Amino acid sequence: MTKDCSRGITRSKWFLPAFSLVLGLVMLAVSWLGGSLGQGLISLAVLAGFGLIVLLAGRSETVRGLRGDGRDERFAQIDLRATALSGLAVIVALIVAWLVATARGQSGSPYGWLLAIAGLTYLLAVAWFRWRG
Amino acid sequence: MKNKVRALRMRQNLAQGQLAAAMGVSRQTINSIENERYTPSLPLALALARYFGITVEEMFDDQGL
Repeated sequence: MTKDCSRGITRSKWFLPAFSLVLGLVMLAVSWLGGSLGQGLISLAVLAGFGLIVLLAGRSETVRGLRGDGRDERFAQIDLRATALSGLAVIVALIVAWLVATARGQSGSPYGWLLAIAGLTYLLAVAWFRWRG
Repeated sequence: MKNKVRALRMRQNLAQGQLAAAMGVSRQTINSIENERYTPSLPLALALARYFGITVEEMFDDQGL
């Protein structure tokens, strides 16, 4: 039986709200560095608002699962499938964008690079989990 | 996977929420197991069997697989 070291963190109801807030602050800092403070403040407001809604939302299984405090092995499996599906959607979109860019005589960058990262990550992950398993 | 979780739970007059709390999972997970929509992990299957004092083989029926 495996021991999940991340359980304590991801099962706290503060995980997703705190992550949203930190991401918002990072975006604020990056936007400020890039000279667009207004955009950074909007990003921070949107992400902090999302975090607050998730924190204060009801006790439905979906909300609690996303938030972290209602996460059990079944929700972890749901999360894994949803993550795989969203990754697949991004990869399909990248392939289409790369094909369209190439057909237009463009270099296909950055789609090709992103696809290469996805492919390499997949191969390394398969090798790692096969070695671990 | 077919199982006797609901029958055993009802026999002990337990609500899904009570069993869920004892197992450390959500009520929806117990509901999904009872309705054969979710096959529990080995640790959870063992915990359920131990809780009701029977073996995993007695609780789960894998003949349909």
